[in-house]
This record gives sequence, structure tokens and C-alpha cells, in this order.
Amino acid sequence: MKRRTVPWDLVLVALVAVAAWFVPEAMKALFGRASISYLSLVINALSLAVLALSWDMLARTGQLSLAHAAFYGLGAYTTALLLKHLAWPIWIGIPLGGVVAVGFAVLLGSLTLRLRAIYFAIATLAFAEVLKSLVHNLPTEFAGGNAGMNVAPLFRPQFVAGQMERWEVAFLRNEAYFYVYAGLLVATVLASIVLQRSRLRHAFIAIRTNEDVAGVMGVRPARVKLLAFAVSSLFVGMLGAVEAHRVGSVLPDQSFAVATTVLALVTPIFGGLYTTLGPIVGAIGLSSVQELLKRSLSEGYLIGYGLVLVLSILFMPRGVVGVIGRALRRRRTNAQRRAIAMAGGGAPDEGASEPGAPPEPPARPGGTA
Amino acid sequence: MTPLLRAIGLTKRFGGLAAVEDVSFDVAPGEIFAIIGPNGAGKTTVLNLLSGLLAPTSGRLELDGHDLTTRSTAERCHAGLGRAFQVVQPFPEMTVRDNVLVGALFGHPGVPRAEAERRADEALERTGLTALADVDAEELTLMQEKRLEIARALATQPRVLLLDEVMAGLRPAEARDAVQLVKGVRDGGVTVVFIEHVMPVVRDLADRVLVMDHGQVLTEGPYAEVVQDPRVIEAYLGKEGA
Amino acid sequence: MTEPALVVRGLEAGYGKIQVLWGVDLEVAAGSFLAVIGANGAGKTTLLRALTGLIPVRRGEVHALGRPLRGLSAAQIVRGRVGHVPEGRQLFPLMTVRENLDAGADYLPAARPRAERNRALVYELFPRLREREGQIAGTLSGGERQMVAIGRALMSDPKLLLVDEPSLGLSPALASDVFTALGQIASEGVTVVLVEQNVQRSLQLADQAVVLEHGAVRQRGTGAELLADPAVRAAYLSL
Ligand SMILES: Nc1ncnc2c1ncn2[C@@H]1O[C@H](COP(=O)(O)OP(=O)(O)OP(=O)(O)O)[C@@H](O)[C@H]1O
Ligand SMILES: Nc1ncnc2c1ncn2[C@@H]1O[C@H](COP(=O)(O)OP(=O)(O)OP(=O)(O)O)[C@@H](O)[C@H]1O
Ligand SMILES: [Mg+2]
Ligand SMILES: [Mg+2]
Repeated sequence: MKRRTVPWDLVLVALVAVAAWFVPEAMKALFGRASISYLSLVINALSLAVLALSWDMLARTGQLSLAHAAFYGLGAYTTALLLKHLAWPIWIGIPLGGVVAVGFAVLLGSLTLRLRAIYFAIATLAFAEVLKSLVHNLPTEFAGGNAGMNVAPLFRPQFVAGQMERWEVAFLRNEAYFYVYAGLLVATVLASIVLQRSRLRHAFIAIRTNEDVAGVMGVRPARVKLLAFAVSSLFVGMLGAVEAHRVGSVLPDQSFAVATTVLALVTPIFGGLYTTLGPIVGAIGLSSVQELLKRSLSEGYLIGYGLVLVLSILFMPRGVVGVIGRALRRRRTNAQRRAIAMAGGGAPDEGASEPGAPPEPPARPGGTA
Repeated sequence: MTPLLRAIGLTKRFGGLAAVEDVSFDVAPGEIFAIIGPNGAGKTTVLNLLSGLLAPTSGRLELDGHDLTTRSTAERCHAGLGRAFQVVQPFPEMTVRDNVLVGALFGHPGVPRAEAERRADEALERTGLTALADVDAEELTLMQEKRLEIARALATQPRVLLLDEVMAGLRPAEARDAVQLVKGVRDGGVTVVFIEHVMPVVRDLADRVLVMDHGQVLTEGPYAEVVQDPRVIEAYLGKEGA
Repeated sequence: MTEPALVVRGLEAGYGKIQVLWGVDLEVAAGSFLAVIGANGAGKTTLLRALTGLIPVRRGEVHALGRPLRGLSAAQIVRGRVGHVPEGRQLFPLMTVRENLDAGADYLPAARPRAERNRALVYELFPRLREREGQIAGTLSGGERQMVAIGRALMSDPKLLLVDEPSLGLSPALASDVFTALGQIASEGVTVVLVEQNVQRSLQLADQAVVLEHGAVRQRGTGAELLADPAVRAAYLSL
């Protein structure tokens, strides 16, 4: 009875992933040396997309977390500490960064299960701040204190005289990071799509809109909320670890910056909450806006940026994706909607017990407004 | 017959107010059991104690011999308690079908997707909501929302269906349909506990009626008996009510 | 003859792309009592919402108490002494019972001087609300919420009172009291428009009545006429 349709979302992800494979080379061919900085911009956008999408996956359960920076920072510090103290392979810090973040997320999540809305937000913010000051106060020999720690880069492309030009070293490094970030985003997107296609999507919306009723319908809010917490922090933890390598250092104020949390929630709000596409569109949109403003306004670009955000929230309360979605839905014709309304309006015995002759549904053309 | 549902000395206090005080009753399998009483008598609170939205100050709840008193709302749903709310609470961001699907998907752990969709469609069909399945729940009228409440509860495939004033506001022909709907559900093997102020519905539907007042049980018995009881007339029906 | 309290001509209204009302005409004399009956989904609630400005009037005219209402906001309309008991008891769930009631009068210059008197009337009709003055409205029982919704409209000291399903969720005894009170209010010169599924009581109280079907008036007459009409009896009265 249920229609089996083509999984367009997965097809799209596959197509984009394949296309992405060629992006660095194409940019190199097009822009030459300038492709290094362009590639950096793209990487920043990919990073923002992972940050935003992972936050959104948690928000879908109604948990508007202000602790996202904490999990990002936990990932970053995990990889830094491993490098400093243990001679493990450099890559191991990335998945382990995710795992450590998940551990803390499950802890925080179980403590905040019963908190709703504003109290949840405050509790998560407090958690993030406490964690930050804890990291500040870790013994300097152990975690570097206020000065943080250096983190080795993931890639060290070598200059080979005669085979390449000098600038190509930087390009190769950015190219490698591009694939790591793209891979991380693809993984995050796939997780998000799996959640959206599974029955958990219904559980998420139910919990978000009315947790009590969700429980009465058999949804286990505690489990579902913790699961969302775990998935969300897994990806942001890995992102934190990768970024630590790319930036080359971790610092308490930088790895646990409140600004990270702000970006994580502003981006999906701009792009469209509770969707896979929204946070990505938001990340692309906001990074482009930021870059354009930086170039045109230089100094006061942050003011312009703030203005764009305020205006977009005012005029697109459901984000970019919401605006597009609504336009598409409008195409359901008036006639269809009216048929639906009529059918549902009357009782099942419609007509049988009407006074007098059966009523003629008014056949006038649709509404004006 | 051994009772399916047993409430034993249920009590709930809100601060100084005893909203429910020492309420006990048994419901037999396949029975349709009504709870009536004045506004604020504690009827909805009893249902909240049954479905686990409130923890009792004291007292116990058993379903089929198993103690459910300390179970979560979800566990009680899985054990077979389905609930339709008096203050309708659809999930507004979902379509009507998705609302019902939540009950079908999660009402019992591990229901396969296809089976859940079948149960949801069946619940929509029974409540006459099929034509509205793709409408956003926030577009429904109050009466349609009440039907949605029933549909969601049915989709969880309960053993005991708890209905809180789902027929208020129906015109007679519709109320008749609703009565038939509930009877059909019972004939399908479901036990029903319902709260209603519409007396003709109580008359046509209830095998037994529990009357509450000020949080306590006033009396219990068949409809014809309780409506003759002077205390019930005084506290609830009023002189011209019956 | 004074001018009618409510005149509605060719009223069309709806939600988004769904049009619900397709040209409703009504004329209600000042101080009289109009009952609106009709099937579920016929548009009764939509009619009252359009009259109180909660949804826009798309076409047609509405004059209430001699004032054209089209284009006015809900706040402006209620200032013009039009009271509304909405379906489904929309209260301020975090405010107390008393605060909810007073909200009916506090923002209306015309109602404020009579707030004391009206509150006393409300408490007389619903003694339970006096007992629960300080309770948070969100924790009230269904019927108690309904009492607050009715009480709040009465606090606005309306000249035209629009009431949607007031008996919903009230015990039979209390529903009966509410009908009696509505009759009383009408006899004091307030114009009442009542939408109610208890068709028997509502037609008994009404001077005039209309049957709404699919967003248009299908039948009209005095309350007694419709009460005697076999088709109306078959559709709305037998149980
Ligand atoms: N959280 C609460 N705090 C204080 N009082 C409460 C709370 N919840 C319910 N009450 C009170 O307990 C009493 C019982 O409420 P309940 O909802 O069970 O009544 P009911 O019998 O369902 O009435 P109705 O027929 O009006 O729906 C009411 O007087 C209500 O105001
Ligand atoms: N918020 C809304 N958005 C879209 N459509 C709506 C909305 N509210 C009502 N409708 C549609 O408008 C029609 C009329 O609804 P209305 O609430 O006016 O009916 P009613 O006569 O009051 O019915 P009832 O007796 O069930 O209260 C219904 O078919 C319904 O589907
Ligand atoms: Mg109740
Ligand atoms: Mg209505």
C-alpha cells in the first residue's frame, strides 16, 4: 500500500559527494594560486555546516542546547592530549574526540532530562562555562593551562623541487583538509537523513511539541533525547578534533568559545530549523554573506552581519528552506484543499440527515486573499 | 470475572487540595465504564493517575494483575493503556496521519513500519479522518481534533482505552456515530473507561457508572440507578438535568 | 425601532486558501438573542472569529453596534464593546483565575468602572471561580477553564456578546445555569449571538435562529419556528 519512492535525498548526497571529489582540482585549474584561499573559505563553510547540522539534530527533540562549544572543545582537547601524552596514531584522536564528547553529552543529557526550554538552555550554558574554567585550571604540564597546547597538523605535504611550484604545497594541504571536512559533512548528513527517515523523526517532533503526550503515545522521551544528544555531540566532537589539527593549537578560550555555540544555533535558524538541508543552506549563506561583507565593509562588517541575521529572522521565521518549502506547498490547488475541508467538515453521515434538500456545496471560485 | 484494571485507594493532593481522595474501582475486561461528576470533581486527575502523567500521593494501579504504579507513561502505553485528552493536544506541526502514526509506531515497541502504517490508516478510517489525513493538524476544527485524539489512542492498540470528554460538542447524529464507534471498539476486545458530561451518551454507552464529587467516589452502579440517586441529582445533574 | 446591533452582509472568510464562509447575511436587533446552529465544520466558529476580527473579512460588510468592523483589529473591535467567548477556552495559562478575569476588563476603558460589579456577577454564576481566584489557569479542570472563558467575556461588559459552545465540558447542572444566565443577560439589553450544540436549549432561548450549512445560511426563523421544524428536529435534536 505504501509507495516505494526513489530516495531522492540519498541520491542527491551521492551526486554532491561525487562532484565534490573534483572541486579542488577544478578550483586549481580555474583560479591557480588563488584557489588556496578559496579552498579555505569552502572548508570554513563545510565546518560551519557540520557544526550547525549537529546542533540541529539535537534541537529536533526540543533541546535547545547552549553547550555545543563544550563538545567541540572536548573533541579538540581529546586529540591534543592524546598527541601530547601518548604516541598513538595521529588519526585516532578524531574518532576518540567524538567518543569523549558523547560520554560527556550522555552525562549532561541525563542531568537535564527533566528540564524544559529556558531551564535546559541555562543548564547547558552553565555546563559549558564550568567545563571551560575546568580546562583553564588543569595542571599546565598536563593540558597547557591558559596557553593551551600545540597540535600537529594532519598533513605535511612535501615540496618536491622541479615537480611543483612553491604555492602548490599549501594547495595540497588545503586539498587534503577539504576531503576530511567534506567526508565529515557527508557522514553528518547521512546520520541526519537516517534519523529523518526512521521512526525517530516522529518521536523527535512529538517530544519537541508535547513531551507528555509523546509519552502517552508510547514514545520514551528519555531514551530518544539521550540518543539525539549522543549523535549530535559525536559529530561536533569530531569536528572539534579536526579543527584542532587544522588550526594547530588548542586554547581554552578558543576551543570552548561561546561564539561557537552562537554560530551553531544561528546558522540553522537562518537556513531552516529541524531539517537536513536548512543548516547546510544556512552555512553556505552565512559564510558567503560574511565574506562579502568583510570585503566590502572591512572594519564594520560584524554590524552588517548582525543586520542580515536580524532581518532574516524577522522576514523568514522558518529560515531560507522554510520560505522555499512554503512556496512549493502553495502549489496544492485551492480546489484540492477545499475538497479536503468539505470532506472533513461534515459528519460521516453527511447528507443523510441534512434538513431539507441536500445542500449544494457553493461552487464559487476560490477566496480572494 | 477478574478485573482487568484496578485502581486501589488512589489519592492525589495538590498542595492543600485533595483533587482525588481514596478512589478505588475495578473495571472488568470488555466493560465500558463511565466516570461522571461535577466540574473539578477529579475525573481527569484520575485519568492522569492511570496514564502516568501524575504520580499518586498514595494508592496503587494494576493492569491484569501487574502493578503499574511506578511505571512511566510510555511503559503504561506499552502495557496497553491508551489515552485521549480532554484538552485536545495534537502535534500541530504534523499532518493528521503523522499524528496517528506516532501512536502506531510507538504504542508497542518493535512494530514494523508497514504494520504501523496499516494501524494508523485503520484508526483514521474508523474515526472518519481519512479524507483529512494529509491536512496539518493545526487546521482542524475542535471536533475534528477530538476525533484525532481518539484515532491516536486507537492506533496504539490499547487493551484499555481512556477517553476524556471526546464527545462534548457533537450534534446528535454525530454523537450516535461516536457511540457506535466506541461500541465497535469494545466489540473488538478493548475495555473502555470514559468521562463524559453528555448524559444521553453515558446512558447509551456505559455498562457501569462511577460518580465522583470533591475528589471522592459518591456512588457507583448502572446508569439507571445512579441518575435516580438524590445525591447525584443534587451534586451533578441539577433538577432538569436527568 | 432602534438600529440593529449586528448587520452582516455577504460575509466571506476563511483560512489561507480555504474559504469557509460563502456570503453570510444576518441582522440582529439590539437586545435580541440569535442562535446559530449547524453541523460540525459548517463554519459557526469561523463566523464568530470573523465578527471579532480574529480572522480577516475577505468580502462583505459587518456593522456591529452601528460601527463598520471590516479592517479593524480584534483589539479595536473588543474596545467597541463586542465580547467573545472563544471555542476551546483560550486562557492565559500562566496567569491566575483572577488575573484572567481582570484581563477581560483591564484594557477596556468602558469596562473598567464596572469591573467590580461584573466580577461579582461572574462569581455568583461560578462560585468555584471565587474559591480558586489564586489558582494558575493552566492547572484548572476542563470545566473550570470554560467558566473562566465565559467569565472573562462577561468582564468586558459587552453590548454584543458572541458565545461559542459555552456548555462544552460543563456539568449538566452548570450548563443549565449558564443558559439561564445568558437569557438573563439578553433580557438586560445585551445582544447575544450563541453557537451551541445543545440546540434544544439554545432555540428555546433565542428570539431568532439561523441554520448554517457549508458556510451559508440555509434556513432562518424564530427560535420557536425552527424548534418545530421537522427537518431541524431530525438533524439536530433527536438522540
Ligand atoms: N496542578 C494542579 N494544581 C492545583 N490544582 C489542580 C491541579 N490540577 C488540577 N487541580 C484541581 O483539581 C481539581 C480536579 O481537577 P480535574 O481536572 O480532575 O477535574 P475534572 O473532574 O476532570 O473536571 P472537569 O469536568 O471540569 O474536566 C480541579 O478543581 C482542579 O482545579
Ligand atoms: N485554523 C484553520 N485552518 C484551516 N482550516 C480551518 C481552520 N479552522 C477551521 N478550518 C476549516 O474551516 C471549516 C469550518 O470550521 P469551523 O470551526 O468554523 O466549524 P464549526 O461550524 O464551528 O464546527 P464545530 O461544530 O466542529 O465547532 C472546517 O471545515 C475546517 O476544516
Ligand atoms: Mg476533566
Ligand atoms: Mg466550532
